[in-house]
Amino acid sequence: MTITIALQLLIAGLSVGSIYALVALALVIPFKASSILNFAQGELVTVGAYAALVLTALALPYWVVLPVTILIGFVVGLFIERAMIRRIMAAPEFTLVIATFAIGLIIKSAIRLYWQDNLFTIDNPLPFGSFRVAGVVLNPQYLWVIFCTTMLVVCLAWFFKFNPLGKAMRAVSQSQEAARLMGVSVERVLMISWGISSAIGALGGILLAPIIGINPEVGHLVLKALVAAVIGGFTSLPGAVVGGLLLGLIETYSGAFFGSTAKNILPFVVLVVFLLVRPYGLFGRAPLVRI
Amino acid sequence: MKQNQQTVWMILALLIAAGIAPWVLPTYYLYLLNLILINIILALGLNVLTGNSGQISLCHSSFMAIGAYTYTLLNNHSQLPMLLCVLVAVLLASVGGILVGYPARRLSGIYLALATLAFLSLTQILIEEFPDLTGGIRGLKIEPSEFLGWSMGNETMLFYIVAIACGFCLYITANMMRSRIGRAFDAIRTSPHAAQALGIQVAQVKLVAFTISAAYAGLAGALFSMVVGFIDPVEFGVSASLRYITFIVVGGMGSIAGSVIGAVVFTGLPEALRGIKEYGDLVYSAILLLSLIFMPNGLVGLLRARKSKPNASTVGH
Repeated sequence: MTITIALQLLIAGLSVGSIYALVALALVIPFKASSILNFAQGELVTVGAYAALVLTALALPYWVVLPVTILIGFVVGLFIERAMIRRIMAAPEFTLVIATFAIGLIIKSAIRLYWQDNLFTIDNPLPFGSFRVAGVVLNPQYLWVIFCTTMLVVCLAWFFKFNPLGKAMRAVSQSQEAARLMGVSVERVLMISWGISSAIGALGGILLAPIIGINPEVGHLVLKALVAAVIGGFTSLPGAVVGGLLLGLIETYSGAFFGSTAKNILPFVVLVVFLLVRPYGLFGRAPLVRI
Repeated sequence: MKQNQQTVWMILALLIAAGIAPWVLPTYYLYLLNLILINIILALGLNVLTGNSGQISLCHSSFMAIGAYTYTLLNNHSQLPMLLCVLVAVLLASVGGILVGYPARRLSGIYLALATLAFLSLTQILIEEFPDLTGGIRGLKIEPSEFLGWSMGNETMLFYIVAIACGFCLYITANMMRSRIGRAFDAIRTSPHAAQALGIQVAQVKLVAFTISAAYAGLAGALFSMVVGFIDPVEFGVSASLRYITFIVVGGMGSIAGSVIGAVVFTGLPEALRGIKEYGDLVYSAILLLSLIFMPNGLVGLLRARKSKPNASTVGH
């Protein structure tokens, strides 16, 4: 294998990985705050993709479509938390897993009813095509994805470190009781954490739309994001990013070396191995439980 | 004593009904009845694992797939008698249960959900990636086989086999729940720590629960392929698993009556709503979500609450 091919695969792996990282981040944020894993996250990506489709059909330019899509995602997240999740917050874990799964299925089948199984696409937002640097073909779409994910990570790092709301979110994830005593409105923080996660999902949707197209099965991606989140440890934001990128690289290189069967199977093998050997991932810590 | 008598009469009535059903029902309703009985078997198995032992499984459709594909392949390519094919299908599905149960011994909650989801995805990919054996996404047709000289194409014969299998499963489950292992299942759900302290080997019991539950699903899978005559991987995806979970959540967790009610209602419901077939998944998942929020104990829980209310008030006086 030449260095050029290795580099080419590296770029491809990183761009696939940054999508995984994006959705994994969207999974981890509400999980940290409310310890609820949102299995409907994939469908929130789908919502973003279809929102972008509808807005683009209204002949709006990409630079309007992008923020509006993210806003729509945010509002959908707020609604899901307020209308459904808050009612079953204290329910057993089984109920929460199945309920979020059901929410996802509702969104997916509603979308399928309206748009059928057609494959839509939206135009490439960037005005230039692929170009070569030192023999490596660079697709601006992929670079745009990598750029957006990087920006998002920087924004989130800032948000959780300096913004009062971000700090409140960290406080809630440490102890809801103590946060409440310090005057933090826990309900509001949880609701906003779902909104943010859903907005990130919508961003993932609009980024993916020109690359893989828009159909009701876009949300299938959440499986990979879950694997990424497990690799990183469910409670760690940097872990989610590292896990996503790692998974993207593993997939791309294994696909190149061993073919598509290996590429499809390997993520789940990795998942099972991690669950068996290191269930709390590379960066997570096992929670201490009082019996 | 009176209760016992009632039960005996009910069982007798059911037996007679099952006996004459294939002679009076039109083909389509017989087919529907077969599906209901198969779903009862599946719901019973899932309820042992989820309702009684408190374990999450998102991969029950995979256990069913293992049963269905094993039966179909053996039936189409070997000369083995029908019962042996079914037995091998059930055994292989239980092996699948062990494969999932082994990591599940140490996992709980979302981690268990993820492990079972991984197993589901793996079986789906394996079915799709080896089309020479499994027919891939195009699916497989099942050749009709023979049982004691009767062709399985014979609907009456087929119905009796499915009904006997279902009755057998009901009998086994009812007895199992009253046995040592059944009580152990309930104990590890209510409090794993207390169960461990009382000498129940929690890890081992979990493994047993997964194995038994997968065996039910394998049997349901084999019967399903006999009745429907065609299988493809779409039939065994996540939404199928969620459908089976709907049976027991809406019917009632940890209750045999709940499994039966759930399976009957939700196999019948799509027929009642036949005019709006494409809304199927939407209706299913909406009912699932609403009953999780507003009816956590299922239909059986509602009935019980209604029954016990007058009693509670008499005690108050």
